[in-house]
Amino acid sequence: MGRRKQIVQECERLMDKPENIRNIAIAAHVDHGKTTLSDNLLAGAGMISNETAGQQLAMDTKEDEQERGITIDAANVSMTHEYEDTNHLINLIDTPGHVDFGGDVTRAMRAVDGALVVVDAVEGAMPQTETVLRQALREGVKPALFINKVDRLINELQEGPEEMQKRLLDVISDVNDLIRGMTEEKDYDWTVSVEDGTVGFGSALYKWGVSMPSMQRTGIDFGDIMELERSGEEGRDELQERTPLSDVVLDMVAEHFPNPVDAQPRRIPTVWRGDDESEVAESMRLVDEDGEVVFMSTDISMDPHAGEIATGRLFSGTIEKGQELYVSGTAGKNRIQSVGIFMGGEREEVEKVPAGNIAAVTGLKDAIAGSTVSSIEMTPFESIEHISEPVITKSVEAKTMDDLPKLIKTLQQVAKEDPTIRVEINEDTGEHLISGQGELHLEVITHRIRDNQGIDVHTGEPIVVFREQPQEKSREVEGVSPNNHNKFYITAEPLSQDIVDAIKLGEASMDMPELERREALQEAGMDKDDSQNVEHMFKTNILLDETKGIQHLNETMELVIEGLEDALEDGPLAAEPVQGALFRLHDAKLHEDTIHRGPAQVIPATRDAIHRSLIDAEVRLLEPIQDVRIDVPSEYMGNASGEIQGRRGRVDDMYQEGDLMVIEGIAPVEEMIGFSSDIRSATEGRASWNTENAGFRVLVDNLQTEQIMEIRERKGMKLELPPSVDYI
Amino acid sequence: MLTFIGLGLYDTQSITCEGRAALREADRAFAEFYTSELLGASVEELEAAHEVDIEVRDRAGVEQDPEPILAAAETEDVAFLTAGDTMISTTHADLRIRAETRGIETRVLHGVTAETAASGLTGLQNYRFGKAVTLPFPFVHGAGDVPPSVIESIEANQTRGLHTLVYLDIKVDSHPRRGAPDDHETYMTADHAAELLASEWDGDQLGVVVARAGSPEPVVAADRLSTLADREFGDPLHLLVVPGELHHVEADALQALADAPVGLVETED
Ligand SMILES: Nc1nc2c(ncn2[C@@H]2O[C@H](COP(=O)(O)OP(=O)(O)O)[C@@H](O)[C@H]2O)c(=O)[nH]1
Ligand SMILES: [Mg+2]
Repeated sequence: MGRRKQIVQECERLMDKPENIRNIAIAAHVDHGKTTLSDNLLAGAGMISNETAGQQLAMDTKEDEQERGITIDAANVSMTHEYEDTNHLINLIDTPGHVDFGGDVTRAMRAVDGALVVVDAVEGAMPQTETVLRQALREGVKPALFINKVDRLINELQEGPEEMQKRLLDVISDVNDLIRGMTEEKDYDWTVSVEDGTVGFGSALYKWGVSMPSMQRTGIDFGDIMELERSGEEGRDELQERTPLSDVVLDMVAEHFPNPVDAQPRRIPTVWRGDDESEVAESMRLVDEDGEVVFMSTDISMDPHAGEIATGRLFSGTIEKGQELYVSGTAGKNRIQSVGIFMGGEREEVEKVPAGNIAAVTGLKDAIAGSTVSSIEMTPFESIEHISEPVITKSVEAKTMDDLPKLIKTLQQVAKEDPTIRVEINEDTGEHLISGQGELHLEVITHRIRDNQGIDVHTGEPIVVFREQPQEKSREVEGVSPNNHNKFYITAEPLSQDIVDAIKLGEASMDMPELERREALQEAGMDKDDSQNVEHMFKTNILLDETKGIQHLNETMELVIEGLEDALEDGPLAAEPVQGALFRLHDAKLHEDTIHRGPAQVIPATRDAIHRSLIDAEVRLLEPIQDVRIDVPSEYMGNASGEIQGRRGRVDDMYQEGDLMVIEGIAPVEEMIGFSSDIRSATEGRASWNTENAGFRVLVDNLQTEQIMEIRERKGMKLELPPSVDYI
Repeated sequence: MLTFIGLGLYDTQSITCEGRAALREADRAFAEFYTSELLGASVEELEAAHEVDIEVRDRAGVEQDPEPILAAAETEDVAFLTAGDTMISTTHADLRIRAETRGIETRVLHGVTAETAASGLTGLQNYRFGKAVTLPFPFVHGAGDVPPSVIESIEANQTRGLHTLVYLDIKVDSHPRRGAPDDHETYMTADHAAELLASEWDGDQLGVVVARAGSPEPVVAADRLSTLADREFGDPLHLLVVPGELHHVEADALQALADAPVGLVETED
């Protein structure tokens, strides 16, 4: 029997023992060394040969990832590790570090209970370190810290013991500040410390690592490390031999990360709003393999042989071939065709997978990343948050007619796999739109369509996605149905940022019980009466029903809501989505008979009223902005900050860090298109930089009209601003 | 001049003589068939029978953009046609008001309508009908399979001993709702309506089906709603009447004209 086969069998044996399972993610700022570290762990577990670890990048499975050397999708792998005489099953997810792929990180966090946060010793905690930490803590996932690239402190920076110690302690304290800030309201302390053994140090490249427990065990301390690391290849080999990275990290995982039995009782209430007295809640808390099947898919991928693979966390029950399972949000059931686990990027079929594990199944044709899949009908899991909404769009067109059906299929697949991508298929024009998190995000997608699917496509220039938002409170406007028999009286006003944030964070939604929603909204600052009148929420907009006792209104409300949603998808200025608006329905006049207040009447009437109320509320175009951070040698500082300022940007801070200058600021996404090549030439390639989407901001007044017209022209709309309203 | 002309219930013959004369003399004729239709005559057949060109307008072309009709009526004799009667159930009063406000002379030439057939064919007395309702297809509204207001109206009529005429939905609208099936029926059949009411309300309730009123071979059938739900009544259009208390002549009529099972049609005395 091959080594691989043995590992699979060992994994299968361990799957039934939740106490011995650890589901973990490795997360970090881009280039801090996640992938190199993951390879080390695989090699340590005997899954790839030791020599190739570090170069092979087994976790970067897609061709374009290996080419670019960045991890794009979260990839999954299972391995075993012996710790204190007990064998452990470790299910590991490597997550992408680039901000453009943030959606993948959030989804991965749902599947795991522990997150190993990797930080580059030289660079320290970076913006995406903060982002991934926040994503982990919000999902109730426990962090531990690995400080990587310590070899660089020794060899490149030639630091002495004191400098080094200070630097490492600074990293730890920065990370702890972040953790403390993000868990303020929690009753547990998840800060990390060397003494507890929740911090490790080492070099993923040279495959050695240490932690407090490992130093006690092996007797190797920092002095030995500095000596051996400095004495060339031989010294490193000795280090790797005597204190191998994978043992140190996997011991830490086994000792400090919670197993599913510990984790699920805490995590279920944060990710699931169903009835906690129900049987299914109980079996999720107990990780009961005999309970109903409850699986949450966190990733959908395409396998040329097996077809669509849904990977995710099994919270309860045992999943096996032939089961007919419900998929949230769809009617009917899907039949499980096969069940498997991931072994170094490849899927191995197994008989069944019990609760507490990460499973990879086929047959769930209706599932998307984020679906709840279960053997009984149940409240679905909280939707996995998308911290950032798509900000950039590109058109894609097949060059030859023959490729059209294949392109549509591929685009639909792309949207299924990555919910942070939005796809708009237009079969009439053949010009489809994909929207995503940034230029790179879209580039990778089009690359896949071209190279992996072999579809020759034209792509348009990237276009920034805008939003529309009211700035003031409107007067009451009237929306009249085409037959004149129905009327709606509505006002619009901006929602406070606190309420918008609460909605975005999922703290208040229509999915939750009414009382809970009211409380959450009041907490975010909404007036008590208003919170009781909430009739509907759509994206970050809210509709209040302030009418009293209007006959037939309740059976018409669904149409009103449909008209509202239509109106908000395409705002009045440039048909861009509306955000952060509060609407009050003050009064309505309705026809006696259902037919004369049907969809053809009520939808246009509400749509019209919503648009007119927005116009009277001084609706404005908002544009997406990004936080920008540039690290650059001081002689290029002027050029680099000029690149921000020249882009309608603002420099907020400049400071020295090590021998580099750091420039921090913000700039509109639209102006950031093409930034990478401009900053390269402005600094002769000496700058490293990072951007992060930072929401939307009102576009300056003198650009409003021009921008609105530009969008209207692109969309083939009338080239005039919507007329102002006739008020009543 | 704008003349509203009802085309009556079924085919080219259903219009009144007066209506036909006015239609033939008109300079232009507009029609809408989104509220109801003539099942026994196509637009071409109407045009041939009356020797006129008919410009059919959709809902938006009447409700949102009536300008071409009104503009024409300012200078010419214009006929505006609908199935049945132009003012009963179809509510074209709005168009007439707009015309009058613009100083356009208007006139109404009545047509035979479903209301006539509902008492005419069933023998139920028109004095004894209450408020009429329309039963919409479940997917066009968001209020369950039968909107509560439909049942409320029927029950309100019944408490006063009155019959209810239930119009059945016709889907000719070009405004599909999200999630509406692509291949749904165009005309709600009486058995479908009986099934909806039987399952959402009261299967033992007496109902009277009227199919193809105005045609040479109308069908009239009275039975329990749950029984009617299992029958088929052939081509559209269908109507359903939910009787209130029955006068003895009405009970006799339902037995004689609608094959009502004896024992189901008890009279009030
Ligand atoms: N010197 C040094 N380089 C490292 C170490 N770990 C990773 N690297 C290098 O850092 C770069 C990024 O590593 P990678 O694992 O792809 O980072 P990821 O983006 O977090 O997955 C690669 O060139 C690695 O060879 C380390 O411990 N020491
Ligand atoms: Mg990587």
